[in-house]
Amino acid sequence: MTIICENLGRSFNGVAAVSNVSFGLEAGQSMALIGPNGAGKSTTLGMLTTVLKPDHGSAQICGFDVATQARDVRRHIGVLFQDATLDDTMTPIETLEFHAALHGIARKGLKDRISAALHWAGLESVSRSVVRGFSGGMKRRLELARSMLHRPDLLILDEPTLGLDPQGRMDLWARVSDLRSQGMAILLTTHVLSEAESCGTIGILHQGKLIALDSKDNLTKSYGTSANATLEDAFLSLTGRQLQDRGGALRPALVRARA
Amino acid sequence: MIYFPARFATECEDNLRIVFVMWRREMRRYLADKSQIFGGFSRTVLWLLILGFGLGATLREIEGYSYAQYILPGVMVLNVLFASLQSAFGLVKDQKLGLLRQVVVAPAPSLSVTIGKLIAGATVAVCQGAIPLLFAPFVGVQMAVADVLVAILVMFSMGIGLTGIGVIIATRLNGFESFGAISNGVIQPLYFLSGSIFPLKGIVGGIGFLDIPLGLREELRNYGIYAIGGGWVVELPSWLDAIVRVNPISYQLDLLRNAILGFYQLPQMLGLSVCLIFPLLAITCATRAIEKIRQT
Repeated sequence: MTIICENLGRSFNGVAAVSNVSFGLEAGQSMALIGPNGAGKSTTLGMLTTVLKPDHGSAQICGFDVATQARDVRRHIGVLFQDATLDDTMTPIETLEFHAALHGIARKGLKDRISAALHWAGLESVSRSVVRGFSGGMKRRLELARSMLHRPDLLILDEPTLGLDPQGRMDLWARVSDLRSQGMAILLTTHVLSEAESCGTIGILHQGKLIALDSKDNLTKSYGTSANATLEDAFLSLTGRQLQDRGGALRPALVRARA
Repeated sequence: MIYFPARFATECEDNLRIVFVMWRREMRRYLADKSQIFGGFSRTVLWLLILGFGLGATLREIEGYSYAQYILPGVMVLNVLFASLQSAFGLVKDQKLGLLRQVVVAPAPSLSVTIGKLIAGATVAVCQGAIPLLFAPFVGVQMAVADVLVAILVMFSMGIGLTGIGVIIATRLNGFESFGAISNGVIQPLYFLSGSIFPLKGIVGGIGFLDIPLGLREELRNYGIYAIGGGWVVELPSWLDAIVRVNPISYQLDLLRNAILGFYQLPQMLGLSVCLIFPLLAITCATRAIEKIRQT
């Protein structure tokens, strides 16, 4: 198993952001975590990326505990964050060299590896231009190339298509699908339900709890309101039609943690 | 000959690479940010030339040095202070733009990341601190190459320490807007309370000592003569003197002044100790601060 989550939970100022979340993910599988704003998606990803320590329960990635073996876990994950995390004064080559150093990728063969990553991302022709002038799609492709440079077993994508045009989205999903076919496990969060549908497993988080975990077909069958129900029907029937933003004590703590 | 185990050698190389890429990124930013270099020059002109010659016209001489000469090391320290803290505060910008997340989720040891950041901050600090040295001939200060090297080492040590303090503060802040408050609350007290613009004790106001040929002046100083043609002895109030003596920057500034002017007022061994201990302490505390933001 690439991910084993057992009763994972985390509170902020006494308010549970995530509680008792359990799931597993095998190599080559993909899973989407969906849920209304404030459902606990980012907190769950925060714990799996070792940035947040769980209050209770445990999570293992490639056999390493996220709380006590953070460094080992970081070697096995690639992360694509919701917002751009590129230094726009650097070129793609420098960006990847920086990442390679942080991940301890051996210098021998690094040049070829970087060239291959840039070729894969379609950025060879701009490899020596600073990132500042890149389009949103180009930046996203560079970030994806960066997140897979150290050949992680698990790729974590936090709302990866936010701000991308339809072509950019399509291109990104084609590349993610390519990585999955190479045996990488994919875990993502998204608000775009059509994107979640392409994943083998979908988990629905609501008020910090994983209230449903199944394939798209099973979810629509079990929770849809009609015979030809969509994932959106199942989602709304499970989480309600009211706005779900959780504010108060939780939000500032989350914002701090995510910063 | 010592043979290191292969794994240890690889780990050392990996850590040095992290330090290098952190340093390179910071230097690239520094070179791209012309405003910081402009700030270094404008501060130097304002303090050294305008204040130095302006106030110098009233004070005449301090311990046999013109006021502009006396504050030259202080202006270098001011540039080091600004550059170090500004470099450290880049972390806040990194945090805001999400750039820090890339470092946070990487397996790189916090110590290497911190050392890279601090060495980069110190390098920028040395570059900025060296700007007033370019003006040294205009204020009549002559320096040997060895003196310049000592000055660079002292500024580097100061830069590591101050960038470390900056990192500790930056990891606790949410916005870059606080830089103004930090400037008033940290940079200015450290600067003014380091003896940068006034002596702890000394003869002020003498006229004519600077007109004596340099060699003879040095000889007179060896006999404890710092002024001719009048002047008065000034001494800081004891409370102010005590504050200056607990400020680590005072000792480093004193070493700098000794290297540049050959004049010092504090125990030089203590200054050397501060130059060694201050950076080590800063690296330790800044690493803990970075470690804290990596897993909360």
